[in-house]
Amino acid sequence: MRAISHLLDQARRGEAEALSALYRQFLPGVFGYIAARVPDRATSEDLTSEVFLKMVEGIGRLKATDEAAFAAWLLQIARITVAAYYRKREHLPTLVSLEPEGWEEAALGNGEALVHVYLGMDPAQIVETQDEWHSVVNAINALTEEQRQVLVGRMIWGYDVATVARMIGKKANAVKALQFRALQSLQRLLRQQGFSSEAFFSQTRHRGGKP
Amino acid sequence: MKLLAERLNDRLEQERRRSLNDGEISNLSISLTHTPASDPEVEELVTMANRWQANPHLQADPDFALQLERYLLVRHAALRLKQPESRRFFPRLWHIHPALGVALGFCLLLLLGTGMFVAAAQVSSPDNPLYAVKRWEQGVQVSFAHSPESRADLDLQFARDRLSTLASLANPAHAEEYRQALADFAQHMSNASNSIGAVPAGPDHDRLSSELATLKATARRTLRSYLSRLALAERLGTTDVLGQMGDTVPRLLGVEMVVSLHPNEQATISIAGVNIQPGAQLLVNEQATGVHGSFQNGVYVFTTNWNGNQHALSIGILNPDGTAAQTTAITMKSSNGNGNGDNGNGNTEGKPGLTPTPHPDPTPRPHPGPTLPPHPDPTPPPHP
Repeated sequence: MRAISHLLDQARRGEAEALSALYRQFLPGVFGYIAARVPDRATSEDLTSEVFLKMVEGIGRLKATDEAAFAAWLLQIARITVAAYYRKREHLPTLVSLEPEGWEEAALGNGEALVHVYLGMDPAQIVETQDEWHSVVNAINALTEEQRQVLVGRMIWGYDVATVARMIGKKANAVKALQFRALQSLQRLLRQQGFSSEAFFSQTRHRGGKP
Repeated sequence: MKLLAERLNDRLEQERRRSLNDGEISNLSISLTHTPASDPEVEELVTMANRWQANPHLQADPDFALQLERYLLVRHAALRLKQPESRRFFPRLWHIHPALGVALGFCLLLLLGTGMFVAAAQVSSPDNPLYAVKRWEQGVQVSFAHSPESRADLDLQFARDRLSTLASLANPAHAEEYRQALADFAQHMSNASNSIGAVPAGPDHDRLSSELATLKATARRTLRSYLSRLALAERLGTTDVLGQMGDTVPRLLGVEMVVSLHPNEQATISIAGVNIQPGAQLLVNEQATGVHGSFQNGVYVFTTNWNGNQHALSIGILNPDGTAAQTTAITMKSSNGNGNGDNGNGNTEGKPGLTPTPHPDPTPRPHPGPTLPPHPDPTPPPHP
């Protein structure tokens, strides 16, 4: 695999292949960060598209030369994009959609993207899972931005503590503390919402189509 | 005893390494089931973290990922097409040569970043204090030009600018400014000519040569029209520049002066030269004498009253068309033919050898130093 700094150089010079490689490497983290913060998959996909479009438009001006700095830049774009999404929602009246919801689409066979999530589940289970995921999203949104970024860096991108420390501009010990507080808060918030985190995650995993 | 955060991190790190070795993060949760629960609080958090991590809601759909990648590449290609070449070049230049970028930026700041330069660019008269800034700015522009073509273009442009400036300065009240602008004009024309000489033969060379020839013709007409409005010193300088533009102008090759004290104090001045017109007037020490000469044996001979205490520092002629020429190289002879005079230039030997002295014009140019022949050739030498 080519080093990130080399890929960044090539992408800055406008090489499409390097841009693709960066996209593939960083998609899981960006999507995971966004999906953990918005309630439905369609919105996650829309916002992820926005983030990577901004990456394509802005990479020529980017000064980052290492992986941590590039990841931090992408997460900053993602954070701003999610914040803009919630700001827009504040000004919109609550509407009841006449279009089928995600679980309905899946049940009707129109939402292929979600089929793998809900495969083998009955509608009641799907609704239950949706509600539970909304609770998880609420819990993630209640964390601080640094805690969220530590979770994404450590759990989704699989970075070590030193890389995450460079990414968020903190010392390694601070990252460990943020990581601990993030998971502890997540556990507490989920418990406050009335279910055991272990039960929730084991249930979801059991039902989930994608390992 | 380690802190809880440390113990949690150690466990997460242990799982991360195991998953990297296995190549699949998804195996984390499975491996956790085999971990002994020696630290229940930590194990609960690790379990939750790994199950959250493996939750299908956080995984991007492969079809979506593929479609988005295609869309991004199309968008990228469209952006590249819209982006001008210069914008693609400069970031690369900056990346390769940061020092060059800094230097360029600094020079651009110097040239364009201040109002002084903007104001100076509008100045045309040499009596304006910003005129020196304008000259410097133009010099920098020329020195930054990347090719002889660009330098020639700039010098031709600046020469045109100076030529038009001269129109308002061609009067005795602006003598100094006129001399300055005339000198700048001649300098730019000379630089342009040198730059064109360095341009390889081809369309660019032909175009620039043609522009230079046109500007020279314009300069000849324009400068000639100013002659009648100028004082003698500026006429001399203008005549010299006219010569550089290829015009037909007088040129003195030698002056011999014979002073006789008896019966009257008189001086006979013989001038060898080219393009001296009939009816030319004698100049002594940059003053018109009102004395007209005659062409005899290939030289112009002027006879004028002479005070014995008078010193001839320069001798010249003023043609009826307004062109003028002078020299300080004068051979003094006594009436008996022996050289015992003194012209003030140290030429006291009375020998026919002349020491060439430059004209007091803005672009000093040494005159050829011919020796006034003892027996002048009746046919003047051809114009060079």
